[in-house]
Amino acid sequence: MINTALVTWALLCLLVFVLMLSLLTVAVRGARMYRRRRRERIAAPVRGLLLELLCAAEDEQDELLGRLARIDKRTWAALDPTVAAMLGKVSGRARSALVRLYELRGAADEAVARLGSRSAARRGRAAHVLGQLSHRPAALAVCRLLDDRDRDVRLAAARALGRTGDPVAVPHLLRSLRGARTVPPNVVTAALTSLGRDAWPAVAAGLRDPEPLVRAVAIEALGMTGAISRAAEVARALREDADIEVRIRAARALGRLGMPDGLPPLLAAIRPGRPVAQRIVAAGALGSLGAVAATGPLTELLGDRNPHVAGAAARALLRLGPAGEAALREAADGRPGPAAAQARAALAEAAVGGARHDVLVEVAL
Amino acid sequence: MIAARVEKWDGLLGTVHGLVALCDTAVIIYFLAINSGYLVLILFALAELVRRLRRAPFAGYEDAAGSPFTPPISVIMPAYNEAAGITEAVRAMLLLHYPVFEVVVVDDGSTDGSLEALADAFDLAEVDHVVPEDVPMRGRVTSLHLPRGGPVPLVVARKDNGGKADALNVGINLARYPLLCMVDADCILDSQALLAVAKPFSDDPLRVVATGGVVGIANGCTVEAGRVVEAHIPGDLLGRTQVVEYLRAFFLGRTGWSKVGGLLIIAGAFGLFRRDAVVAVGGMDPDCIGEDAELVVHLHRQLRERGRRHRDYRIVFVTEPISWSEAPARLRVLGRQRRRWQRGLTEILLKHRRMIGNPRYRRIGLVALPFYVLFELLAPVVELAGLVLVPLGVLIGAVDADFLWRFLLAAYAYAMVVSLVSVAVEEYAYHRFSRWRDLWGAVVGVVVENIGYRQFTAWWRLRGIWDALHRSPQEWGSMKRSGFGAPEQVREGGERH
Repeated sequence: MINTALVTWALLCLLVFVLMLSLLTVAVRGARMYRRRRRERIAAPVRGLLLELLCAAEDEQDELLGRLARIDKRTWAALDPTVAAMLGKVSGRARSALVRLYELRGAADEAVARLGSRSAARRGRAAHVLGQLSHRPAALAVCRLLDDRDRDVRLAAARALGRTGDPVAVPHLLRSLRGARTVPPNVVTAALTSLGRDAWPAVAAGLRDPEPLVRAVAIEALGMTGAISRAAEVARALREDADIEVRIRAARALGRLGMPDGLPPLLAAIRPGRPVAQRIVAAGALGSLGAVAATGPLTELLGDRNPHVAGAAARALLRLGPAGEAALREAADGRPGPAAAQARAALAEAAVGGARHDVLVEVAL
Repeated sequence: MIAARVEKWDGLLGTVHGLVALCDTAVIIYFLAINSGYLVLILFALAELVRRLRRAPFAGYEDAAGSPFTPPISVIMPAYNEAAGITEAVRAMLLLHYPVFEVVVVDDGSTDGSLEALADAFDLAEVDHVVPEDVPMRGRVTSLHLPRGGPVPLVVARKDNGGKADALNVGINLARYPLLCMVDADCILDSQALLAVAKPFSDDPLRVVATGGVVGIANGCTVEAGRVVEAHIPGDLLGRTQVVEYLRAFFLGRTGWSKVGGLLIIAGAFGLFRRDAVVAVGGMDPDCIGEDAELVVHLHRQLRERGRRHRDYRIVFVTEPISWSEAPARLRVLGRQRRRWQRGLTEILLKHRRMIGNPRYRRIGLVALPFYVLFELLAPVVELAGLVLVPLGVLIGAVDADFLWRFLLAAYAYAMVVSLVSVAVEEYAYHRFSRWRDLWGAVVGVVVENIGYRQFTAWWRLRGIWDALHRSPQEWGSMKRSGFGAPEQVREGGERH
């Protein structure tokens, strides 16, 4: 049995601990409130200056920038959270002014120096700051963080690279999709998309990559950025690529690109026997394409055994205009069965103006 | 002859004496172990919270809010006789901050005019429909309604009454997006809730199959336009106690489990799932009263059994967003709620008993499920046994009274330390309760939770175990809600927090 003295001792320790925890909780709250009030007090005199800067015409900005750049470290530390919050909310001239302010305060140089910090949180914040400032000269340095041992830092680096606007990052971003230290495909796709048309040649190089994920992401990015000059390559991917994920991305991209090259492979992609996810996306893409030639094949799909394929086809027909709508009416008035039911459902949705065009896709790369 | 009888009687007394002493020791050890278990989980949670807070500045929420690559979500809201609040609830859901999502309301055969209320508010029109049967449904879908002429992403289905799980299954079949967010019709989500709960899917799309969000107690909070604008700890004792309990067991406990990869429960009031994973396990189990927790255990089981490629998955608890739900304000209602929860837990553990202690299921089988059996399922049994055996031990002299009162005091002080750590961690990480008197309310809640509240709920939880073992008919009571807005009649206890 446990000794009574030991229990008494433990009881006393626990009571002390209860007291300490209570005091600690109060202290944490007190300290936080004190810091907040102190920060507000210190930043108050210069907050007006900051607002003036945001509203100022271009020729008035220099003087205000100079004054804000000269404020002491203590005041800047108090003002910084407000500036950072505004940077994410404003655009145009106001945003450029804030970026210049940060640069004048040496924030970009500081962030570049912190990219090599031992602390993952600091590296991540540094990459984030450089992204927010769209600091193009740091693009290559940020690229190195795509191979960082910390996952969150890699993600921050990929997002930052999308904002820097430098296409030099493209091969690095594509490379970050494979290996032991990867970046999620949707984050890479978003970054590549942000880089815009300047990045097309480098992104298109990814179409020949041996890794399916790289090809899929490259196709998605090209589709999102409207790279119509690459439509033929995307169509080839839908026809020939061995990987289902790549073909699904290609089908979706062809729908977005809206080029005639997309029609034959999309029609082939909806045929029975092909993977269901591919058929659903391809049917939706045919709707986006708006080619009347797809009316017949899509009408045939209304009676498909898979209700999601049939539903996607019905909604795609709605998007083909009068020809598609006529086909749906004919099916709805025809022999009762799944095809008629799908047609009626799509027409009813369209009649109330609430057609659910988006297609269900369960494929997540 | 008499001497022999006396000797026999003495021997029997000695055995009883020894047994009671043994049981008392076991109860004492159990009490220490359960609190230590929670303390360890809270420390894991603290480590996770520190990590998340340090990384919050570059977590990329702004990017997710405006990105076309943020995965779209179907929010499924089952409803039964929710006419009083359904319109506001749906309106608040439609105003959530998220790039692409739809709200699928499944009216489970309400008799109070819920559907009519929605039809009036959103100008709904009945449309022809085809409902895919990706997961089995029991109740027939009688009608489908869409808002007229608008881009409002709302679908309302009416079905024959079949229970919450069946209504969720209909919602799963109607959902068109790859992520499913299951919410209770009477809960309030923070405006950023979907963004935060979906973030793990964006950050780790290949592995994350489900995420759960924090559920807070809305009693006493200030609610405006369907949002909690100021969080407070309620003024009544029962409310305060439940806030502390939610902090310790649900917020920090589950954060800790998530950190070690052993999360077993995602609240029905707020959870996000990959649709394909839910379809693969056949949707919600309509025969299980704790269908939300059952789904998570089922996902673990299926993903572990499906082979190497699927084993590398994650089920994550997200601490940032919050769903607010009103907690019972009366003891009787609380008792019924806990009875249902415990019944649900018992049914799940019985259904998936082959996973318990099975190394095939790794941490789930070897750590999480045994913990739930020992410290969640058996807790009311041991708690009530202790209430009988410990005084009995003192009465027959099996336990030294002086030792016992000191020990009990120490044990309760230990339990209070655990609860106080929870309050301190919340204050450090999110400090949602802004008034000084909220802190005082939490301290009162800490005391009452350990002395009185736990013992009271133990009785109801014991009855829940009994219900599960005897397969008693399921009961769905009702309670008067009074925490925010006008009092309204809503279904009670379907939610697991």
